[in-house]
Amino acid sequence: MTGALLRFELAAARRGRTLVLFTGGFAVASLAVALVGLSAGGAVAVQGFARTSVSLLQLVLWVVPLLALLIGAVAGSEAHDLEFVAALPLSRSQLLLARWAAWTIALGAALCVGLGAAGLAIGVFAGAADAVRYLILTGVSLLLLAACLAVGLWLGVAGCTRARAVALAIVVWFVLVIGVDLAAIAALALFPPAQAGWGLSLLLLADPVDSARALGLGLFRADVLAGPTGAALRQVMGGFGAWLLAAGLVAWTVVPLSLASRRFARRTL
Amino acid sequence: MIDIRGFAKHFGERCALAPLDLRVAPGEVVALVGPNGAGKSTLLRCLAGTLAPSAGTASVAAWDVVKDGVAARRHLGYLPQRLGVPSTTVVADLAALIAAARGVPGRAARACLAEAGLEDRLGATLGELSGGQRQRVLLALATLGGVDALLLDEPSISLDAEGADEVREAIRAARQRGAAVLFASHHLHDVAALADRIVVMVGGRVTALGSLPDLAAAAGVRWSGDREAVDPPIERIYRVLVTRGRETSPLRVVRGSAA
Repeated sequence: MTGALLRFELAAARRGRTLVLFTGGFAVASLAVALVGLSAGGAVAVQGFARTSVSLLQLVLWVVPLLALLIGAVAGSEAHDLEFVAALPLSRSQLLLARWAAWTIALGAALCVGLGAAGLAIGVFAGAADAVRYLILTGVSLLLLAACLAVGLWLGVAGCTRARAVALAIVVWFVLVIGVDLAAIAALALFPPAQAGWGLSLLLLADPVDSARALGLGLFRADVLAGPTGAALRQVMGGFGAWLLAAGLVAWTVVPLSLASRRFARRTL
Repeated sequence: MIDIRGFAKHFGERCALAPLDLRVAPGEVVALVGPNGAGKSTLLRCLAGTLAPSAGTASVAAWDVVKDGVAARRHLGYLPQRLGVPSTTVVADLAALIAAARGVPGRAARACLAEAGLEDRLGATLGELSGGQRQRVLLALATLGGVDALLLDEPSISLDAEGADEVREAIRAARQRGAAVLFASHHLHDVAALADRIVVMVGGRVTALGSLPDLAAAAGVRWSGDREAVDPPIERIYRVLVTRGRETSPLRVVRGSAA
């Protein structure tokens, strides 16, 4: 039964134009980032995996949360349009989880197509050094996608109308992508770095986008770019920081999904 | 069997459904009639699990619709008044889901749609179908798998004469199979022809309940008892009972008591 529900939701996700546009757009953007790179002699050449990955990470950190939050919010707000399906012998949690899983699979596949195309181009032109780290980066991107979809779904279920859910998603995206960094910079300006360490580490864990950034940059030893929160986490947690960040991303998926399920269970359809 | 005891629904201070007791036996057809806002859809939605009741209990095939909702819905077919599925849903996908939910093979769902004359529309989305075709698809799928109880909310809405005949046939078939059928309708001739008992609702309250002869007697309307008569007195009975209900039944109730 759960398989049938997942297939039903996957078919719905595949039908929309959003998925096709995201797949095509992300693949083109990823290839562009990979191909437009270093050129010592002025000609277009290909960057190695490490440098390209850092550039691709920026693309992932901006595009994936925005799209996942928006799609999750719309999918969540439209879940109340399921009166006929909700009268089947299915729990509300099953309905919502199937919707989240279907979009995670669909957008995850699109993400893999884009990053895969870029990875293939880099591998062909610049060799396979750091390819494993690149694969792990893809995994981090998928974790971020799953987390942002879960948050979006929660916003959609809680927001009730599509317009309100979308507005909430945009606000949350702004806070996660820019707001938390601004808060970290403000904290550093107000408190001495030694005192701000734990607070900044918690701030990092409280932001899935920042967590993915710190994880991704750490993979390619580009920690220096991870910002004040990343530096604080390294200082406070040392080598365990990466595992903590990964666990944090999983929690960012599980907790919003649970909240959304509870809310949806009480919702009038 | 549908067993409803003290079922009620409030939206804030507004009473949409005053405490109601009703039992629909296997093989019995009960019709809900009343003006818009009478509480007919509210009752059906509470039974189908898409709306939480404020008070009371109800069971379908002995399963509590709130506490054991999933188990109760295994025995239940429900046709909502509005579409209740995204209009971008492909008919074949919906049929496959409902077949899996009811534990019947996918080909049974397709055969069911073919019986309704929709075999060439399996690849269409619900939004691409006419209103009547959509209703026939949903009715065919709601009755799939031989459910024990059938809840139909305005099943003949937007149907042509042929489609309305199919609805009547579906209700008769469900009754013959031993299913308990509870349906809401404004088509009083359908109600007269199909229902074993009729529930007249006004302002969230039941104002009359009984067989057509009972209601005719209660309304003081003389009637020969011929349900298939060209002009059965159902409309006169309905008008008398609804008017009387409006005069005697409070339209606004706070927490089950008269406001």
